[in-house]
Amino acid sequence: MNPITPIINGLKITLKHMFMKPVTLQYPTERPKVAKRYRGLHALNVSHDKAKCVACYLCPTVCPAKCITVEAAEDANHDKYASVYEIDMLRCIFCGYCVEACPVDAVKMTEEFELANYNRQDFIYSKERLLVK
Amino acid sequence: MVNLTIDGKQVTAPKDATIYDAAKLNGIKIPILCHDKKLKPFGACRMCLVEVEQMKGRQIPACTTPVTEGMIIQTATPEIVKARELVLELLLLNHPLDCPVCDKAGDCDLQNLTYDYKVDSNRFTDLKFQHEIDYNNPLIERDMNRCVLCGKCVRICDEIVGYGALTFIDRGIETKIGCEFEDGLNCEFCGSCISVCPVGSLLARPFKHKARFWALTKHESVCGYCGTGCRLTLGVKDNKVLTTIYDENQGFHKGQLCVRGRFGYQFINSKKRLTTPLIKKNGRLIESTWDEALDLVAGRLNRGNSVAALAAPRLTNEELALFKKLLVENVGTKNFDHAAGYAHAALTEGFSRSFGATASSASILDIQKSDLLLVIKTDSYETHPVVGFEVNMAVKNKGVKLSIISDKRGKLSKLPHAQTLVHRPGSEVAVLNAIAWTLLDEKLVAGSASLIAGYADLEKSLSGFSAEAVAAQCGISAADIKKLASEYAAAEKALIIFPAGQAYSGHNADLATAAANLAFLTGKYDKEGCGVLCLSEKNNSQGAVDMGFFAQDGGLNGLQILDSCAEGTVKTLFIAGENPLTSYPNRSKVKAALEAVEFLIVSELFLTETAAMADVVLPVCSFAEKDGTFTSTDRRVQYFKQAIRKSVLIKTDYEVFSSLIARLGGVAPATPAVLFSEIADKTAGYQGMTHVSLLKEGAFAAAVTTPKFIVPQAAAPFTAETGKLSLVTGSALYHNGTLSQYGEGPMHVCPENYVELSRTDAALYKIAEGDLVTVSSSSGSLQLKAKITPRMPAGVVFSPYHFSDAPINTIWSGAPVTSVTVSK
Repeated sequence: MNPITPIINGLKITLKHMFMKPVTLQYPTERPKVAKRYRGLHALNVSHDKAKCVACYLCPTVCPAKCITVEAAEDANHDKYASVYEIDMLRCIFCGYCVEACPVDAVKMTEEFELANYNRQDFIYSKERLLVK
Repeated sequence: MVNLTIDGKQVTAPKDATIYDAAKLNGIKIPILCHDKKLKPFGACRMCLVEVEQMKGRQIPACTTPVTEGMIIQTATPEIVKARELVLELLLLNHPLDCPVCDKAGDCDLQNLTYDYKVDSNRFTDLKFQHEIDYNNPLIERDMNRCVLCGKCVRICDEIVGYGALTFIDRGIETKIGCEFEDGLNCEFCGSCISVCPVGSLLARPFKHKARFWALTKHESVCGYCGTGCRLTLGVKDNKVLTTIYDENQGFHKGQLCVRGRFGYQFINSKKRLTTPLIKKNGRLIESTWDEALDLVAGRLNRGNSVAALAAPRLTNEELALFKKLLVENVGTKNFDHAAGYAHAALTEGFSRSFGATASSASILDIQKSDLLLVIKTDSYETHPVVGFEVNMAVKNKGVKLSIISDKRGKLSKLPHAQTLVHRPGSEVAVLNAIAWTLLDEKLVAGSASLIAGYADLEKSLSGFSAEAVAAQCGISAADIKKLASEYAAAEKALIIFPAGQAYSGHNADLATAAANLAFLTGKYDKEGCGVLCLSEKNNSQGAVDMGFFAQDGGLNGLQILDSCAEGTVKTLFIAGENPLTSYPNRSKVKAALEAVEFLIVSELFLTETAAMADVVLPVCSFAEKDGTFTSTDRRVQYFKQAIRKSVLIKTDYEVFSSLIARLGGVAPATPAVLFSEIADKTAGYQGMTHVSLLKEGAFAAAVTTPKFIVPQAAAPFTAETGKLSLVTGSALYHNGTLSQYGEGPMHVCPENYVELSRTDAALYKIAEGDLVTVSSSSGSLQLKAKITPRMPAGVVFSPYHFSDAPINTIWSGAPVTSVTVSK
């Protein structure tokens, strides 16, 4: 093969890309568009000003990373609710099994992906932080 | 045996088996909801429908149909599966399907069957029930909306517990399980109904929402309260005992438990547990290290005879044996005892003389095999409820006759055809002697009796105990005594049962010998369903006796040790697990003794009032945190394994004693298992036992008996001083010793001490239920809540001894009966 041909072919591709839209996203000034089924930070759904969660323990049971801690308690009406609901984001593998297991649609996964923090303790999301605002 | 064919498989089954039993026996699973092997067949749920060829292919319930020769049974034809699916659909029609919030999920028979039969839709529609949920009591929640009307709770409460708190109410679609007058549940809270409920209708409130069933690890253990020796499954999560789990295949009692066993486990993970050794400095207990504490203790133990020890019969056999070894070989003292020195006298002095063995001659298994039960004190039910269940079942299911000699009536007196002879308190021995006299007088004595040593002496000594003479003293008619004697003699098999314990000082050696004499006179011993059964109070009372942990060969006994502490001859006292300040008689004397002793060492789970007086407090383990063996009251030796890890800074009693032995220059066996093999070699009846061999069911240590008539000394008849009442002490159903005060379950239902008095006395002194009354004796006075019950005879009051807040020993000095005044 003519030794020049590959070079010309390469330059063709280079030239073509010069007139295309750039692939690089200028994060953080530019934001990515997250897919609908993206599995980001968890959130606890709210209904009637209360978390929908009934503390059935199915999410900690199904969780392969064992990152969910639930403690159930009885409220004044003898109803079961989660007095503690914590997710350790350092352990979470964002598999979404918890959402799948939930029988009452109490937990969902949001498009939130910026989970960096300075302290390890800050990665443990308490019930307060997880509630849908 | 009967031959039959199930699902094409040729099988055999016993003649009295049902189809369900036969299938189960041969490994064929038939689904059930309403059947329990302990209960009578009922046939309510229709899940166990099978087809029998001989019955023209009709669908019949397997749990109520007895097998017949040549039966050809199909258990899973498409028609049957369809019928079962319909049953489930109809049950699920009204069932709330709130599995996510129901604690039964994971252990629910209805849930499992629904899953097995893939019933995921319903062809029918109907409203769900809207029954009010019963939250009236602190232990059992009743949600009738989830109920499938299997009737198991009704039947267990009636057939086994004998309480009858629950029943079917209303008819048809409105049928529900309810209590009397549709009121909240108010029973003795044994929780048997919870254990058999196939759905989440009955739930344990102390465990409510604590964990899901599948998150629990199950650890088999032995109950740490009374001497019955019930096996127990502890449900553990995150190193915490959260509940007890029912296992119908466990032990002689088939998983049946009482309120203490089922709900009293919270002391194991109590926040009040001691976590570090404490040493008294400048009058205050200061946290310390094990090295410092053990060095201090070892330095004070090295003083021979001036050292004494009291151990609780809640320690394991291995610990008691090691403690004895430490005291005898390394310390050089014989002054050690358990259970106040008198609560074991029935065994160590009574049975040892009469039977030649420090053990009962009958087992709990004999109860249902007997023809007549002679129970001394109705308290046998309160002290040992699961033994009480056996009595219930014997009377209700097996038609065993029940005769009771007691100073008050009780639950046992309510059993069908139970005959209760209520005598004046303190005259049990006289009544037994009068029965013996009647046997001799009416020539009802077995031929072999006269060959037993001591017969002539007994005959002579009983002359003063004619039925008439005793009747005049004890308040039972002579005719009743004679009738009881002739019934006892006429029964082919008869068993005498009496409780022993720290609150039953009258149940002493004399009572044991008097009871043994009756058995010897009529030849009712050493046979199935015969003998005398002493119900020892605590989980290892019999073990403490078998290990020889009681005063022998001139050693001081429990009460003498305290006297010597006060006199100053005992300078160091090591109390392992006992709480004499509350449980020993005469509180002021005990207190003076503990104050007087130079050095007091207490090893305990909690900072009890006794531990608070100590110079060194050593935090030790509960039964759930250690390995070992307990010997139940009928000498069943049972091995249990550690269920949870102990916290870092506590030690088992075994570790404490072995480090002390090492510090005193001795060598202790490395592990409890090694020591147990030594114990097994030298303890009568334990030969051949090892931890491994005892793992599953435990084994009976046989007692070799040589009968001998011993003349029992009947106490002079007790008459209360004029204008005073007779106080008898005892155990409450919800408590055992002082440990149950740290179990939340028992404290929910019986939180404080009380005095029980008759309606007559209540009317006389104008006392109403719940009034705070002052009970005074010559030794002190105490404020107690009044409880008015029809079971107490006039002139007699009863109070239990478990409570540190209002300890009965401020007014009780150890006498079987005390004269007291009761005033508002």
